[in-house]
Amino acid sequence: MIETLIALLSILIGIIGANLLGYFSKKYSFGFTGNTLIGVFGSIFFIKLFGHLGLNPSIIMQTENVNYVLFILNLTTSFLGAILAVFLLKKLQHSIKNL
Amino acid sequence: MNDMLFFDRLQFAFTITFHYIFPQLTMGLSLLIVYFKWKYLRTKIEKYNSAAIFFMKIFAINFTMGVVTGIPMEFQFGTNWAKFSELTGGIIGQTLAMEGLFSFFLESSFLVLFIFGEKLMGQKLHFLTGFLVFLGSWASGFLILATNAWMQHPVGYEILENGKYVLENFSALFKNPWLVPAFLHNQMASLVTSSFVVASIGAFYILRKKHVESGKLFLKTGVVFGFISSLLVAFPTGDWNAKNVVKYQPASFASMEGIFQSEKGGAEIVLIGQPNMVEKKLDNKIAVPNVLSFLTYQNWNQEIAGLDQFKEEDLPNNIPMLYYSYHIMVGLGTIFIGLMALSLFFLYRKKLFNSKPLLWFIMFLVPFPYIANLLGWYVAELGRQPYLVYGLLRTSVGVSPTVSSGNTLFTLLGFMGLYFLLGLLFLILVGKTINQGPRPTKI
Repeated sequence: MIETLIALLSILIGIIGANLLGYFSKKYSFGFTGNTLIGVFGSIFFIKLFGHLGLNPSIIMQTENVNYVLFILNLTTSFLGAILAVFLLKKLQHSIKNL
Repeated sequence: MNDMLFFDRLQFAFTITFHYIFPQLTMGLSLLIVYFKWKYLRTKIEKYNSAAIFFMKIFAINFTMGVVTGIPMEFQFGTNWAKFSELTGGIIGQTLAMEGLFSFFLESSFLVLFIFGEKLMGQKLHFLTGFLVFLGSWASGFLILATNAWMQHPVGYEILENGKYVLENFSALFKNPWLVPAFLHNQMASLVTSSFVVASIGAFYILRKKHVESGKLFLKTGVVFGFISSLLVAFPTGDWNAKNVVKYQPASFASMEGIFQSEKGGAEIVLIGQPNMVEKKLDNKIAVPNVLSFLTYQNWNQEIAGLDQFKEEDLPNNIPMLYYSYHIMVGLGTIFIGLMALSLFFLYRKKLFNSKPLLWFIMFLVPFPYIANLLGWYVAELGRQPYLVYGLLRTSVGVSPTVSSGNTLFTLLGFMGLYFLLGLLFLILVGKTINQGPRPTKI
């Protein structure tokens, strides 16, 4: 059941990552609301995408004990995934504006 | 084993209660957004477009929270309810997978297009994306209700030699007589919540003398939709649902209504009373004779089976909670009809926008439709007990035998902490959005 908590923690790290990017670089800010929402979906998308490589919470808990290396990798992927999602959506927004 | 079952049920009850705060708003709100956008297309008055975009932001925040809080449930099927998933996965897996694959992607893809793509697509296509968001959210509700309908009234299944349930007839899942009444009742209840939210934001703006024009539009729309949906929740959808309960789950119906003994010559409807489980009767009751028989069978003298007609082991295991949930839900529903009728009357007399006590009342009543919706689900789920799949699979059989109650309690505390943070984040985001007010900008 710890895997569920890992999934939620992972999303929270994604939210923090997306908002940190917006905070330090106004160029990549959609506002607190926008960055939070994008952070959630970016985090989920990248964890699902790379989950089968061992980052999935179920795999992290496969031995019934937390595999801390995979856990940290999971959080890092979530953090970077959220940042990448903000970055990509900003690019998309610029492309739409220039159409 | 009993401890384990208790904590597993408590954890699921906690996570699903928190989760259902969000979709109950998005389902109803999506219809109101389509209405605002349609009005804009017809009239070209900008305030309708601003309203559609403003509420889509509120929708997006709620939708995101719904996604995050829905993840634990996906896991819980496997972790806490492994035996249930193993035995019924061949059936409930179909509708749950369809919900994830079709409705969720439809909803989320077009939500992004609605928020970012107005200028790119033009107004008609923008309306279409809003409509597809609405379609996705209602389809999602339909598929979840199809899953629940099968658990309430299993149809179209076959039991294999290893005890697993499989579908014999796929279309039976959608022709289940439990499904349509439950879906319509649920959607109308969701529309009540969203109408109250829209009306209360309108009342807030008028009282604060900020965004007053939008406030008036929100209040007017919320009151009209709130009145219609409050009526539809009670009749015909609530009535239709209750008739299904009496037909397919008579023991649940007797528990909901507090009928301990069958009464020949017609059953009374209990307005107020306290279930006394020791003496098997209702204490301090106020009841109207024969009305329940009439409402249920359109016959004043029809007998309705009481709890004395059923085996003890087939009765819901928390009758007082079921009884109170049902009666509070019905009581709140009645208050909603009254309040919305009064507000509509004031609107007709052109006095609504200046009636401060009524505006304050509308604003502060907003948590109650949420409570009524959740109590409605408690009635459905407590009424189905002691079964996970009514008449087929007992709840005690469905839990994971190897998960300890300590583990469940530990993770429940973890959920409480994380959900507290999420709840706080949700309030900040919604508060900021309401404070900014409606304007045609992107998030």
